[in-house]
Amino acid sequence: MKHTGNIGKPKRYGMVIDLDKCTGCGTCMVACMAENNVPFKKDESNKLDSITWLRVYRLTNGKPYPDNEVCYLPRPCQHCAGKHEGHSPCVSVCPATATDYDQETGIVSQIYTRCFGCRYCMAACPYHARYFNWWDPVWPKGMEKALNPNVSARMRGIVEKCSFCFHRYQKAMEKAHMEGRRELEEDEYQTACTQACPAGAITFGDLNNPEHKVHQIAQPDPAKGGRPRNPKVFRLLEELETNPKVYYLSSREWVQEACHKPHLLDQKTAHH
Amino acid sequence: MKIDRRSFLALSVGGTVGTALTPLPWKIQDDLAIWTQMWPWTPDPLDGENTFTHTVSTLCRGGCGVTVRKVGDRVVKIEGREDYPTNQGGVCNLCASGMQMLYGPTRIPHPIKRVGDRGAGQWARISWEEALSMVAEQLGEIRQAGQPETVACLSSRKYGSVAELLKRFLTAYGSPNFMVTPSMMDAYDMTLKRMHGVDGRMGFDLENADYVLSFGSGLIEGWGNTAYMIHTNSVWKERKATVKQIEPRLSNTAAKSDQWIPVTPGTEAILALGIAYVIIKESLYDYDFVNNFSTGFEEFRSAVLSGYSPGNVAKQTGVDQSTIVTLAREFARARRPMALCGRGQGTVPGGLGESVAVHALNALVGNINRPGGVWAMPRPAVDGWAAPALDASAQAGLAKPRLDGAGSAAFPFAEQLFNRVPEALATGSPYPLKALFVYEANPLFSTPGAAKVREAFDQIPFIVSFASHMDETAMAADLILPNHAHLERWEDVPDTSGFHQPMIGLVQPVVEPIRDTMHTGDALLRLAAALGGTMAASMPWENYKACLQEGLASRWSQLEADGFWIDNRYRPDTWSLAFPTPSGKFDFGVAGSDLKALFAPAQPEGDDGSYNLKLIPYDSVRIPNGPVGSPPFLVKIVSDTVLKGNDLFVEVNPETAKAAGFVEGDHAVLKTPLGSATVRVHLSDGLMPGLVAIPRGLGHTAFDGYLAEKGINANDLIGSVEDAASGLDAAWGILASLVKA
Amino acid sequence: MDSALIPKGVKRCPIWQFALGLGIAGAVLLWGVYAMFLCWFKGLNQTNMNDYYGFALWIWADLAVIALGGGAFFTGLLKYVFGKDELKNIINYAVLIGFICYSSALLILAIDVGQPLRSWFIFWHANVHSMLTEVAFCLSCYFCVLTIEYIPLILENRQLDKVPFVHNLSHSMHEYMAVFAATGAFLSFFHQGSLGGVAGVLFGRPFAYREHLFIWPWTFFLFTWSAAAYGPCFTLLVTRITEKIARKQLVKDATIQLLAKIAGWMMFTYIIAKIIDTIYWATTTAPSLGFSLKEFYSNNPVYGFSILFIEIVVCGVLPAVMLVIPKVRSNRLLLTLATVLAVIGVSLNRWVMVLQVMAVPVMSFDTWVMYYPSWQEVATTILPVAYGVILIMISYRYLPIFPQEAELNPLEPETPVAAEMDSQEATEADADPELTPAEA
Repeated sequence: MKHTGNIGKPKRYGMVIDLDKCTGCGTCMVACMAENNVPFKKDESNKLDSITWLRVYRLTNGKPYPDNEVCYLPRPCQHCAGKHEGHSPCVSVCPATATDYDQETGIVSQIYTRCFGCRYCMAACPYHARYFNWWDPVWPKGMEKALNPNVSARMRGIVEKCSFCFHRYQKAMEKAHMEGRRELEEDEYQTACTQACPAGAITFGDLNNPEHKVHQIAQPDPAKGGRPRNPKVFRLLEELETNPKVYYLSSREWVQEACHKPHLLDQKTAHH
Repeated sequence: MKIDRRSFLALSVGGTVGTALTPLPWKIQDDLAIWTQMWPWTPDPLDGENTFTHTVSTLCRGGCGVTVRKVGDRVVKIEGREDYPTNQGGVCNLCASGMQMLYGPTRIPHPIKRVGDRGAGQWARISWEEALSMVAEQLGEIRQAGQPETVACLSSRKYGSVAELLKRFLTAYGSPNFMVTPSMMDAYDMTLKRMHGVDGRMGFDLENADYVLSFGSGLIEGWGNTAYMIHTNSVWKERKATVKQIEPRLSNTAAKSDQWIPVTPGTEAILALGIAYVIIKESLYDYDFVNNFSTGFEEFRSAVLSGYSPGNVAKQTGVDQSTIVTLAREFARARRPMALCGRGQGTVPGGLGESVAVHALNALVGNINRPGGVWAMPRPAVDGWAAPALDASAQAGLAKPRLDGAGSAAFPFAEQLFNRVPEALATGSPYPLKALFVYEANPLFSTPGAAKVREAFDQIPFIVSFASHMDETAMAADLILPNHAHLERWEDVPDTSGFHQPMIGLVQPVVEPIRDTMHTGDALLRLAAALGGTMAASMPWENYKACLQEGLASRWSQLEADGFWIDNRYRPDTWSLAFPTPSGKFDFGVAGSDLKALFAPAQPEGDDGSYNLKLIPYDSVRIPNGPVGSPPFLVKIVSDTVLKGNDLFVEVNPETAKAAGFVEGDHAVLKTPLGSATVRVHLSDGLMPGLVAIPRGLGHTAFDGYLAEKGINANDLIGSVEDAASGLDAAWGILASLVKA
Repeated sequence: MDSALIPKGVKRCPIWQFALGLGIAGAVLLWGVYAMFLCWFKGLNQTNMNDYYGFALWIWADLAVIALGGGAFFTGLLKYVFGKDELKNIINYAVLIGFICYSSALLILAIDVGQPLRSWFIFWHANVHSMLTEVAFCLSCYFCVLTIEYIPLILENRQLDKVPFVHNLSHSMHEYMAVFAATGAFLSFFHQGSLGGVAGVLFGRPFAYREHLFIWPWTFFLFTWSAAAYGPCFTLLVTRITEKIARKQLVKDATIQLLAKIAGWMMFTYIIAKIIDTIYWATTTAPSLGFSLKEFYSNNPVYGFSILFIEIVVCGVLPAVMLVIPKVRSNRLLLTLATVLAVIGVSLNRWVMVLQVMAVPVMSFDTWVMYYPSWQEVATTILPVAYGVILIMISYRYLPIFPQEAELNPLEPETPVAAEMDSQEATEADADPELTPAEA
């Protein structure tokens, strides 16, 4: 295949999640947990200490019956680039360099063996994408067999989060190198949630590559920190200039409004 | 030696400096660093060769085509199979959690027999020989006594070689009592039989429909094939098809639809007839189909026009007249409109009248056996086997009426009515059961009015379960012959979820059985051999795989090669050939039925005037409510507005809650004629006032600490209501009250 | 019994009273230690923190004790660098309080992190962009400085001082104290500031985020400033409490008034800066991030607008004005009241900059989450208080902390050398350590 897109240049892996298609079934969460050895406790009903790298939020328009509307919004780590590449809210604050912004891929990684659990990154992240291991993970007897060897199991006292299945990128790159290639095809590296979603609501790829679907849907504007040019596409908390790499698509106006704070220039104040 | 202050000081300082100069502190520091980075008890999964195997996951009702990733001999991931015709790369949340079902501690590790009281959980391990001979002995005695009809079997699957083998076993044995857990397909099958004259199954060409009118079907919440329906929903979005959802609760389906039309529960059929009224009155129906290919239209027309004017219907359903008229016009004018029924996941069939009323809409617009329409399809058959041999004893047994009354004079078109079994057992009429086989079904949990089923099961002296996991019904069994888990066995899975092409998926063993289990097919073959005579002759195969291969006949080679078989070119019969009714036409008159009686809505039980609310069950795509209990991953993704600790939340409209003095999170006692339970209140603007909504699938008493005792079982509070016309369970919910705890 | 250790020329309570006091504080300490071990061995699930409250009571306690311990560096700065020699009469106590505060902060941090045995990674894998790295480095360095400042005081113990080496060492350390004090002030400027920066740089959290000056957000300067302003107030307050318990004056009014005046003017200027910062943040910074002020304050009592009013007006402007007016601050009761308000004010400021930052939902579909500490968190937070009380009791009893004590409370002339007489003295002796209230 001929590449005209993004050869030899840094990649900016990102997602567009189609909220019109998302049904809130939660398969993405399950696929993520299975892929990434996310632990589970007997009681996971306290969502404030329940590790879900990808969490599906339920949004409502707040209107009474029968005008109530609901939309589901899956929220993985947003892999923020910040005002300048690498100035993610969390990466900039970690005292022990246990979380890192990969300039090759734009992925924010978490080094589990280095994190000492100060949780400053959690305080910094407005998306609540980071989770602390309040408990030492325990797998019921036998279930540890299902653990994925490509992702290390974490231990108590450290922070973890979505990695855009970075191990899949590494595997794909290894394979490409073995075959003498330096570039990946679009479908060679896909996250577990993207792959599992029965609705096909998640599109994943290189935002810098005009050939990739994510680029085509989101149409990021490099001059404006990656702001989408597609009017139906938006990012969460655009005004904070976190410059996230997860884009959302919705045709419902109230969803668009609920997802990002009105900008000063819009002269809007209150909403929803 | 006297140690003075000076020498003590010198010693301690010297010692400290000396130690610091040795490698010891650095070694300790290093070890500590390593230790703190990987505690010895933190699992460190071994790497190994990666392999990917296709199979079909049977955990969900529809069956997901999956690719299983193995590392060495461990299953580590289950992903949707890219080229599988239904889910097409996606997967449902339950099948994606399949590793936990395979490796989980609730697996039954080997054959066991009950040693304590029933349900007490006291078991003794026995060998397979012992277990099988126990069953053979019991069955032999019953047959000897000339009562083969008193042996029954309950399966969650109606089709496929294992279901057929169970049925064949009973037939050869002499029992007519092969039963299947109820579903909306029972009502659809009956509708098909009585309106089309076809003994078949419904197929829905969903992707090509451009206007979908759903009467409470949880289209993206487990109705039909879960992953395929969610995929279809995305296709609808891309093609800008319209979906209108009619139900009292803002389900996910309603939330994703183009319009949510709240309707008083139980009046969906009335609304369908109201829509039919407008279509007929405004002559919006398909003249060609109605005039040339249908019969009984006059009867239908007069039944509809006499009682279902929009004004009348609006009063009963709570839907505006103008909405009814709009829906009717939109539906009739759409290119490929489709009306669907089966509430939620379709676990309760609903009455025949409801199914007929909804299907009549499809017929009125002529969207029958056409692209984007509803198709009459042949049933999947295991047709490679010779007919079973029947001895006199078998023939005598088979001549007896069925226990559930299906096929009797009262319910001639019913194939099975498991909802009628509890009463039959309670009264001992027509006869008591001596033995029951339970295959991949958990009726003690998942049947409405579960308490009655539990009582009924107490009347059965010998219950044999083939469960792989220790569910509620297995807990109440006398003997468990554990089946291989879904990733350990061969099996064929014909699609019966409404897919519009004949299709069979092949379940293939991905791993060697990790427990001392046996394929139920093999267990049946060995039992038949032990019973000897015509039983053995009817089931002559060496093993289940041979029997599977023979049964699938010509389709086997493609199945073996591709992992599935599909008839891509299948097209339903054209109208002129499609209806093998006496008239050769589609029958709006439902084979001469009293339409007025047929369309009368089901009355909820126990109306003694003390209940001011209506309780409706709802199905969540995140909570399996059938034979499979939620694995830990699925329990984890249940919302905290549904389950908090072990407390279950019921949804109540804020207005209703306010009137009763409830605020968010309050504890309350939910009471119905069947019983009461303590719940918590969740205020929802997505529920019609006057209702309480409860999720199905929680409140397990079996399984482990990851699932057991969480929430309450809706089936303990909601029972079944027998539809006079069909015998099917027509319950939409029940009357209830909610008072402060 | 222990009279040989007690400084010359002062009276102390009988040993049984002292032991009883120690015992009570020790019991509280043990309770805290038990909770501490629970946290270490069972993990942070022992707390009520969660993924929304990654920072909670402990981080607040850390920030608060460091602000309150600011008296040490600022008094040192005033005495050794700015030559306010009068302050030599309170500097010892300021150092001791600072030492207690900073050692407590380090201990709390050691409990707070999820993997305490890895905490050295902060130095090993230091990320120079992180405010917390700056805090860690400056904090540990400054703690060393405080230790060095505290050591000469220990060495002045009557018995230790008899050893010529110790005597000389302590003397020469005193010589260089100005250097350490200057170093301490320098380090404090950075770590106090960095602690302010911890919240101020969080550009993902509009409630905390402040505009920058150089590489530091405004909170950097506000925190240093407030520590310098409110730290001495805490020193004054603890001195006052100690005097109350000892039932005698320990520091002359001139010293107290001088420190109070300086603290008052520091607070006065700080609170003006804080008000300007708040107005700028409310009208410019937050709106530019898409937030209006009312989104930051929910209508519950913990995070309502009242908290802003109490911090800035009741516990900010009011004590500042009180201390600035000579007539008011020379009234001992009003002076004490002003210091109490000031201590509450700075603690409240730190509370808001930690807890409310966590509580305010940023995504519009997120919710306000409430938090209350578990007993383990409370116990481990009280632990340092008990430890501080014990350290003060011991230091007060055996070390010449207050240079003016003997002068202010002359012993009766006929009193012989204390050695055999303590039991008699005890009856009229003063201190009743078990009444020592919590001071942090």
